[in-house]
Amino acid sequence: MDALLNQAFAGLSMASILLIVGLGLAIIYGSMGVINLAHGEFVMLGAYVAWAMQTFLGFSILTSLPLIFVVIAFVGWLVERGVVHRLYRRPLDTILATWGIGIVLQQLVRMFIGPESRFVATPSLLEGNTVIGAVVMSNYRLFVIVFALAVLAATWALMTRTEFGTRLRAVIQNREISECYGIRAEKVYAMTFAYGAGLAGVAGALLTPLVSTTPSMGTYLVVDAFLVVIIGGVGSLIGTAVAAAAVGEATALFSMLMNDTLGRIAVLLAIILLIRFRPNGLFPQTIRR
Amino acid sequence: MNRTNKYDFLGYIAFAVIILLGVPFLLGFDGFELNTFARYLALAMVAMALALSWGTAGLLNLGQAATFGIGSYVMAMHLKLAASTNNPGGMPDFMGWTNVESLPWFWQPFHSLTVTLLAGLLLPAAVAGLMAAFMFRGRITGVFVAIITLAFMVALQLVFIEEQRFTGGQNGLTGLAPLSLPGWTVDTYSLSFYYLVAGCLIVALLLGMLVVRSKVGLVLRAIREDASRVRYFGYDVASYETFVFCLSAAIAGWAGMLYTLVLEFASPTYMSVSFSLAIVIWCAVGGRESLVWAAVGAILVNLAEGRLSDVFVEGWLLILGLVFILFVIFLPRGLYGLALAMVDRLRGAPRTDATLPVKEG
Repeated sequence: MDALLNQAFAGLSMASILLIVGLGLAIIYGSMGVINLAHGEFVMLGAYVAWAMQTFLGFSILTSLPLIFVVIAFVGWLVERGVVHRLYRRPLDTILATWGIGIVLQQLVRMFIGPESRFVATPSLLEGNTVIGAVVMSNYRLFVIVFALAVLAATWALMTRTEFGTRLRAVIQNREISECYGIRAEKVYAMTFAYGAGLAGVAGALLTPLVSTTPSMGTYLVVDAFLVVIIGGVGSLIGTAVAAAAVGEATALFSMLMNDTLGRIAVLLAIILLIRFRPNGLFPQTIRR
Repeated sequence: MNRTNKYDFLGYIAFAVIILLGVPFLLGFDGFELNTFARYLALAMVAMALALSWGTAGLLNLGQAATFGIGSYVMAMHLKLAASTNNPGGMPDFMGWTNVESLPWFWQPFHSLTVTLLAGLLLPAAVAGLMAAFMFRGRITGVFVAIITLAFMVALQLVFIEEQRFTGGQNGLTGLAPLSLPGWTVDTYSLSFYYLVAGCLIVALLLGMLVVRSKVGLVLRAIREDASRVRYFGYDVASYETFVFCLSAAIAGWAGMLYTLVLEFASPTYMSVSFSLAIVIWCAVGGRESLVWAAVGAILVNLAEGRLSDVFVEGWLLILGLVFILFVIFLPRGLYGLALAMVDRLRGAPRTDATLPVKEG
């Protein structure tokens, strides 16, 4: 039983990371239909900015989070203006172009910062463990879970409670009509892309104490995060959250029953089945396109 | 025969002549260079296989490397057994290290060359056929095909890495014997081996082109444009899609077998996400609509990689990424589209738009 609970916590911890990486992807995919394979590289850049802030300025991750968000959001904005906005009518081509962007960003980091892995310390505030019964939970992982939920809430508020969210939802529903009402769809798309990228950067920064920071760290994250987004259903924030939790917990459970690799294989096969029978995800939205 | 057909066959013949005569001559019949080029030709073959499903039917298979990898392992298993005849029980060395008692049943048939060659074609086709039937019966299209095939490939690669006792795990299958065909032990640095690979590519291309130019090909292209409309005409869309997936997988498996021969090992990296997306890149650079041009794209990108990665050790991937982004934005039809536009300009005919995007599912 204790093993099960500990494993459940590990699953939740993984789910929180998937959620925070997946949210940015979900917003970008949900609003523009762009499959952003460079998302993993935004995560990686976020991690490197966190590392740079710590190494050169001595800031802990927590203090540098806002700056990381802004920096990576700016990178995302550049990518949208430079490449992605030319491809809105060709959704499958965005897979290719963003993969190319990913290669470029990865290689730039490798050239200018180096291929070796970097380490970022856990903020001293969040060191240590919380023990409830026999379940040992690291404070930092608990923080990441809470933070992921907070980001989910903030994104939901942004989408439903702000002027910007209203515009975005209008553009998603019908781009042409929204433009007739004076909404500048181009601008909304660019801002949305930037926001999604910023979230990825924050995710990368939060990941740094948990995994080693390397130029290629994003490649595997993006596949997993993308599967989460598809399972959750296009444009559904709550779907992304549920899917992240399900994938995280399922991976943890299968890993306990079998082993890590077989667990991952089982989850991938389950995901394939799910996509096959529910291609619109767990929480499909009815959108008029 | 319409105009593009004519150009395609002319292009095909030109390509065959260059590969068979021009390249060996230009490389000075040097064994090492020929071996390197044979590698490009094997990769050209898998790019052409992808063009068959992606360019013709609009089904982007991001897991193409999975079938390539299966073919490559099939050939490697045969060669590994041939290299292990003096080991106890005729077992590959890595099995001894991992305490496998006796040769597993699924390794047994690969003693036979005939079985190996058949399995290298049919096994990938069967795997792809199952996947395709599973997907296309449910009318899965577009992005979802890409995602399912990608997830499947990641799972398959994990299986190969995990089952180290039977597959050599992360190391793959190394220390292979040379292939013995009846009356010929293949020397991979010889001209005859180069002609073996080149011949395979040319036959595969011809096969692919015959399919593309047949009525089946016409239906497939119609599916790319509008699957529902084809369905209303009474065609069984799923069967056509499954067929093209199987054919593409068989050719990819074939290419995988050749690739193992060239490099003399099989590795799970042949099934990695980055390798699979590299195939997509080659295809897009050459032009996904034309099999020959997809093959040319693969050869050119790999040739450039071979030459440029010596000069710009670090920057090579950067250049590849940038070139690729530019191609996707400005030349969505690849070099093929560019060539079409140039031919039209020379003839003074109404311009074909090289930048016109290809419609996809």
